[in-house]
Amino acid sequence: MNPTAQGTLAPSRPRTANKALVVLLIGAAALVAGFVLPWIGFAKITLSLLAQALFDALLATSVGFLFLQNGRVSFGQAAFFGLGGYAFGILVARNLAGPELALLLALAIPTLAAFLLGLVVARVTGVAHAMLTLAVGQAFYEVAFRWRELAMGDDGMSFTLPSKFFGFSASRLQDPGVMVVLAWSILVLVLVSLTLFTRSRTGQIAAAIRDNEERARFIGYSTTVPPALVYAIAAFVAAIAGVLQAVYNGYIAPQMFHWSLSGFALIMSIIGGAKFVIGPAVGAVVLFYIKDVAGQFAEYWPAIVGGILVVVTLTMPQGIIGLAVKQWRRRQRR
Amino acid sequence: MTELAIEGVRLSRRFGGFTALDAVDIGVKRGEIRGLIGPNGAGKSTLIDVLSGRAVNWDGSVRLNGEDVSRLTPQERRKRGMARSFQRTNIFPDLTVEQQLRIASWAVEEAEIDEVMSEFGLVALAGVPAGEISYGDQRRLDLALALVGRPSVLLLDEPAAGLTMEESLGLARTLRDLVTRWNVTVLLVEHDMQVVFSICDRISVLHLGRSLSEGTCAEVRANPTVIAAYLGTEA
Repeated sequence: MNPTAQGTLAPSRPRTANKALVVLLIGAAALVAGFVLPWIGFAKITLSLLAQALFDALLATSVGFLFLQNGRVSFGQAAFFGLGGYAFGILVARNLAGPELALLLALAIPTLAAFLLGLVVARVTGVAHAMLTLAVGQAFYEVAFRWRELAMGDDGMSFTLPSKFFGFSASRLQDPGVMVVLAWSILVLVLVSLTLFTRSRTGQIAAAIRDNEERARFIGYSTTVPPALVYAIAAFVAAIAGVLQAVYNGYIAPQMFHWSLSGFALIMSIIGGAKFVIGPAVGAVVLFYIKDVAGQFAEYWPAIVGGILVVVTLTMPQGIIGLAVKQWRRRQRR
Repeated sequence: MTELAIEGVRLSRRFGGFTALDAVDIGVKRGEIRGLIGPNGAGKSTLIDVLSGRAVNWDGSVRLNGEDVSRLTPQERRKRGMARSFQRTNIFPDLTVEQQLRIASWAVEEAEIDEVMSEFGLVALAGVPAGEISYGDQRRLDLALALVGRPSVLLLDEPAAGLTMEESLGLARTLRDLVTRWNVTVLLVEHDMQVVFSICDRISVLHLGRSLSEGTCAEVRANPTVIAAYLGTEA
C-alpha cells in the first residue's frame, strides 16, 4: 500500500508513438516488397493461387479481428464477403452504376448492414453468437442460391468489367501479377490500419468491453456502439475481399456466402493466431503453402486441414504468431 | 443544496414472490463513510444495485447530490460522479493495469491516473495484465478503477471479500485515508466487522429487506435488535 515503494510510471505516450511508427515502417517495407512478388518468377497459376490466398487472408483477417476486438467467434463473416462481391457484380453487370460507384456501394452496404446487425448481435455471446451469425450468413446464401433473377441462383453469374476503372484498364485487374500486387497492398494497408485501430482509444475501449462488458458500463461507457463499430470494420474488410475476388474472376456465385468459407477463415485465424491482427493472414498464407505442397492429395484436403488444426490447437493454442511472440519474449528475458 | 450526497427513497425490489427490498430509505451525507450491514439475504447488494443503476424493475427514487438519477443508466450516473465496485473482482483481465486505468480515465474527462495508482500501490504493476496479478492486487485495482476521476459517491460491495485480515485492514486504512482527502462519500457493504467499525462514521442495518437500525458504530453495537438479528453477543 505504500506508494513510495512502487517506483515511477514509465511515460506511455512516446512509447505508444514509437510503436505506431514501427508499425508504419514495417507496413511501408511490406508494401514495397509486394511489388517484387510478380518479378520473382512465379508461374501464372502460382500467382493466381497466391491472389486467392490473399483474398482468403483478407477474409481471415476480418474473422480474426472480430475475435480479437469483440471476443466473438463468427460463422457468418462470408455473408459480408458475398455481399460485397454480389453488390459489385450485380451493379456492374446490370449497368446500375459505374464501376467506381459500384465499388463504393459494394463496400458501404455490407459495412452499414454489419453495423446495424452488430448493435443487436454484439449483445449475444458464446455459442449463441456463433449460431446466430451462422444463421444470418446462411440466410444470405439461401437468397443467393434460390433467387435466380438476382444473379442466376445456384449457377452464379459472370459479368464483364467495364473498360476503365478509376482511369485504368479494368481488364488488367484480371491479370494475376497485377491482382497479387493490388491484393497484397490492400492486405498490408488493412493490417496496418487495424493494428493502429487496436491501439486507438476506440479500439482499447472495445477491448475493455470484450474483456468485461459490465465493468465497462460502470466505468462510464456505452457498450453498444464500439462493438458494433468493430463489426462494421470487420465487414468492410470482408467486403474488400469479396469485391477483389469478384473483380478478379468476373464471376459471383452463392458459395461466396457459404458458412464453410467462414469456417475456413476461422481455421486460418486459429492457425495463425487469432489474438494478433496479423495472425489470420499468416494462417491463410501458411495454409496456402501447405495446400500447394500437398497438391497431389487435393481430395484429402479437408482432412489435412483438420489434422493441422488439431496439431496447432494442441501444441500452440495462440497460433503461429503466438508461439513466435512467446519465444521472442523468452529470449528477451534471458 | 442538499447535504445528502446519495439518497434512496422508498426503494423496493421484488424477485417473483420474494421481496428483496421493502420501501427502504437511506441517505448518506456528503463526505460520510456509511457502513451497510446485515445477514445474507438482507438486501444489501440489491440496494447497491438499485442505487448504482445495475438493477431493473424497482420502485422508489434515487438522488445523487440532489439530482434525481432514477432513470439514468450506470454510465450516466458514473459521469455525474457515482462509482461502484462489485462483490466479485470485476476488472479487465487481458488489459494491463495501466491500460485499464487509463481507459477508465477517458470516461471521466481525462482524469489523472498516476495518483490513484500510487495510492493503491499499483505503479510497479502498471505493465502487467490484470489477470496475472495476485488476488489482493486485483481487489485494489478494482477499487482504483472505481476511484479514477475522484467520484463524489462510491458504492462498495464487499471490497475486502477474500482478503486476509491484514490485507483487509490495510485496504480499509487506504480507503479511509483516500476518501477523507478526496472528500468522497462512501456506502460500504461489508461482512468484516473489523473493517466496518474501523472506517465507518455511521452504520445502517438491513434485515429481510427492511431498515432495521441506523446510527454511529457505538449505537449500532449496543442496539439489542441488531445484536439479535445480526451481530450476536460477540460483537
